Amino acid sequence: MVRGMMDRALVGFACVYTPLPLLDAAGFVPWRILPVGDAPDQAGRLLHDNLCPHVKRLLDRAMAADLPPLAGIVFMNSCDAMRRLPDAWRVARPSDRVILVDLPASAADDAVEYFAAELRALAVNPADWGGTSIRDADLEDALRRYDGLASSAAGLRAQLARGELPGGAAALQAAINDVTAGGWPDGAARLAASSFVAPAASAAGDAARPASGVPVFVFGNVLPEPEAFALFESCGARVVADDVCTGSRVLAPLAPATDADPYVRLARGLLGRAPCARTIDPAHPGGAATRVVDAARSCGARGVVAHVAKFCDPYLARLPAIREALREAGLPLLVLEGDCTRRSLGQQRTRIEAFVEMLESR
Amino acid sequence: MIGEYFAGLARDIEAKLAAEPAASSARKVFALEVARLGVRLYSPGRPVAWCGVLAPFDLLNGVGVTSCFAEFVGAMLAGMGAATPPLEGAEQAGYAADTCAYHRAVVGAAMQGMMPVPDFLVATTTPCTGGLAAIENLARLFRRELLVLQIPRAETEAGVRFLAGQLERLARFAAGRAGTALDAERVAAAVELSNLTRGLMVEIYDLARKVPSPVGNRDLANFGIVVPLLMGTQAGVDVARATRDELAARVGDGKSGVAGERFRLLWVQNRIQFPNPLLKLLEDEYRAVIVVDELNDVTWEPIDPADPYPGMARRAIGLPLNGPAERRVARLRQLATEYRVDGVIHPCHWGCRQGTGIRGLVQRGFRETGIPVLNLEVDCIDARSFSEGQLRTRLEAFLELIAGRPRASA
Amino acid sequence: MRFLGIDVGSLSCDAALLDDRGELLAATVVPTGARNREAIARATDEVLRAAGVCAQDVTAIVSTGYGRDRVEGRRAAVTEITCHARGIQALLPGTRLLIDIGGQDSKAVRFDAQGGVADFAMNDKCAAGTGRFLEAMARALEVDVSALGGLDREGTDGATLSSMCTVFAESEVVSLIADGVAVGAIVRGLHRAIASRTLGMVKRIAPDLSGLVVAMSGGVAHNAGVVRALSAALGCAVRVPPRPDIVGAFGAALIARERFGG
Repeated sequence: MVRGMMDRALVGFACVYTPLPLLDAAGFVPWRILPVGDAPDQAGRLLHDNLCPHVKRLLDRAMAADLPPLAGIVFMNSCDAMRRLPDAWRVARPSDRVILVDLPASAADDAVEYFAAELRALAVNPADWGGTSIRDADLEDALRRYDGLASSAAGLRAQLARGELPGGAAALQAAINDVTAGGWPDGAARLAASSFVAPAASAAGDAARPASGVPVFVFGNVLPEPEAFALFESCGARVVADDVCTGSRVLAPLAPATDADPYVRLARGLLGRAPCARTIDPAHPGGAATRVVDAARSCGARGVVAHVAKFCDPYLARLPAIREALREAGLPLLVLEGDCTRRSLGQQRTRIEAFVEMLESR
Repeated sequence: MIGEYFAGLARDIEAKLAAEPAASSARKVFALEVARLGVRLYSPGRPVAWCGVLAPFDLLNGVGVTSCFAEFVGAMLAGMGAATPPLEGAEQAGYAADTCAYHRAVVGAAMQGMMPVPDFLVATTTPCTGGLAAIENLARLFRRELLVLQIPRAETEAGVRFLAGQLERLARFAAGRAGTALDAERVAAAVELSNLTRGLMVEIYDLARKVPSPVGNRDLANFGIVVPLLMGTQAGVDVARATRDELAARVGDGKSGVAGERFRLLWVQNRIQFPNPLLKLLEDEYRAVIVVDELNDVTWEPIDPADPYPGMARRAIGLPLNGPAERRVARLRQLATEYRVDGVIHPCHWGCRQGTGIRGLVQRGFRETGIPVLNLEVDCIDARSFSEGQLRTRLEAFLELIAGRPRASA
Repeated sequence: MRFLGIDVGSLSCDAALLDDRGELLAATVVPTGARNREAIARATDEVLRAAGVCAQDVTAIVSTGYGRDRVEGRRAAVTEITCHARGIQALLPGTRLLIDIGGQDSKAVRFDAQGGVADFAMNDKCAAGTGRFLEAMARALEVDVSALGGLDREGTDGATLSSMCTVFAESEVVSLIADGVAVGAIVRGLHRAIASRTLGMVKRIAPDLSGLVVAMSGGVAHNAGVVRALSAALGCAVRVPPRPDIVGAFGAALIARERFGG
């Protein structure tokens, strides 16, 4: 570990495509602004009621000063709502340093080149933000550190899918949250499987009991609270894998790239990895549907849950095709649309239970 | 159904103009050219591309591809009072009613066989994510090739290079689909026409600024968003010239668009597309005129015919709907000042994250100028949720508020 | 052996009592009111009394509905989707699509050829198109909610309601009355609006309705006008069981018998 790492300033981020190795190389600790807490009640002053509740909850945290001191905040240009977030943030907290980095929708060569230029432009800022200017060697180091964390996370996910991870999906979520909310410097330790303990309820003796419940695959926007996974389990559903912005997309391995320039490598690595809802592959219009079916099949799920933020266009527009593809694949789908708060998920308990009853009877 | 509608419309206008040339008006010329575009879009056998709003229509016209943004269909259906069946169809197929009705209508129309199958599609990543997803869905439904133009957020050197490269590839691809190799001279000729139209648009908006304004509430409705479809063609020049001449003649005759103009208004983003009585109310009861629509604006420089792609890239990147809200709000404030408006009407089209997403920021931006803003919570396409009484009350209260203040053009 | 199913809904609490052959001995519907424990006790008492059965003779209770976890002495709590499904398959075997419109929510369930639940959709976020919506509209029309079916039969087509939001629809109804539109026509318009909204929910789980055997349950199924409008919107006949409001409780009792009947 680099000396003095623990005293580094925090830089806020909100999207898993944020170039975390770059922030690391500049001497910052990435700090994910998670959408936790209640439904947004302040953000409506600046953003319309029909805008993404995830983004509005982040803005609510800014307006309520519910954040640690941040040297700067890096947002990614992923969708309309994320574009509006820095706009509103600057109004709500004019003294914050806020940057919006363009995020191409595909991983074509020219998009990689452009994204690399965006990353280089971002690398100019750290000195103004109290960080250090980045040498290529620093970035190479940071990329290696990231790869280490990503492979630990991948190992944990594999254990979870086999039903062997103590504490299950909730414990993994808690660990991922820890690493991204300031725990970066000792991330490797935080992700050591040995540190995982089963939750108190089962610690009494049956910690080694394989997890029970109908295996389901969850995809969608954000599900940051470990309790959300516990809720699924209490309804009889075991989340064996997810494709969620706060879940498996966090610390996802970078796509392999051989470019000599570390910025290009980072750009290609980020754009080339597992796509999200905002990604478009022009060669496969509607490819999101195939991806969901493949992911659900490969983790052995018997049902699929879409956990979608209300007003999220990237998902809302793709759900019909996803529904159709799952129907053809014989995989039942449950759509949970809400504001992504725990409360809104709790209100959907009957749906989840009915879904589980349906899966069990098949 | 839509194809026949366009054909009938074109025939009617042509017949009227032939029978009574003196009754010609710029709006008729505009309507005729739009109807002809519609006929081309719905005629089999010619290359057609459905696109995102920021596609370079002059370039596509220049390489022989008839193209149109998908939202046009939603607006058209709403204008015909026929948007409900496709909207319902899309909703029953699972497209959430919380999404933009422009996109829901066009996807529903495609599912119901009311859309011509294009040769290919061109999505643009801005102005909105919903539009990008809608074009992707159309490509999926039609099983046609999809190109995506990624529009950078800012006019950086790398950004312009990135988009210019994509535009050039699009030109080659589209020319290939039209059965020709990319011909730089044809593109240059289209760019010349596009620049001519642009110049006339600048003149039109200069005329509209005059006090009293020569424009009425319908003269330039949807003008700035639809004319780009005709750019790069002689028709675009003709429409713009007819409009310029008509407005110039009115100014020469000392006529205003709304007799006895009292209040001057700025309309943000799109008009309400289905028939409704609000414009008549503005005009008849308040002598209020929309002197400027946000989308009736020229924010780009003439394009170099010899090297068109960087200029086209800058045009798309520089559109105020792209980039930070700060820039868009600044431009709105500038328009409000230049046109000496008394108030701003912001129809917050339900489901539009791009435009109405910044409702609060627009309001805040105008608060400093002292110009009042009216947010209308409406759906510009879906007449099912139109509540005339409520909107009328809000509009009237707003105009009464304005009436109690000093006039901006005094 | 006796088996009790209790469906604790937001507006009504329903109970159904079965004998060991699965025959319905008695059923009741009581208003839930503010305290659902009291309603549960009342419904239980009523149904036991009607059947002349003592509480000790009940072998198992299965609860359902949003208040299912409030039922003391239950052997299991099962969601209303599963209970309605079980109930309708017993009452109207061969049903492939069930539409349930209750007081405060609506749901649609699609079945596979064996009668198993294949997909479902629920609307519990707003009252539009539910019993509560119809009650509000009946109030605006100054008629009793039970009269709506008859008014629909006598009415003519012609009036359209654009808004399904209870608040806006109410003011639309008021302005239609002011415009002199006949009450029967307004009621038809309301029923058509409910059918169209329900169709949206149904199509999400059953894109192809051709040849489906459709049934309707829930208190609103008593309203023949809604059934007719739904049938027109779906383009097929809609069957209604004799006691559409106790399908959930009946299904819960059947599940109690299957699981705990030994």
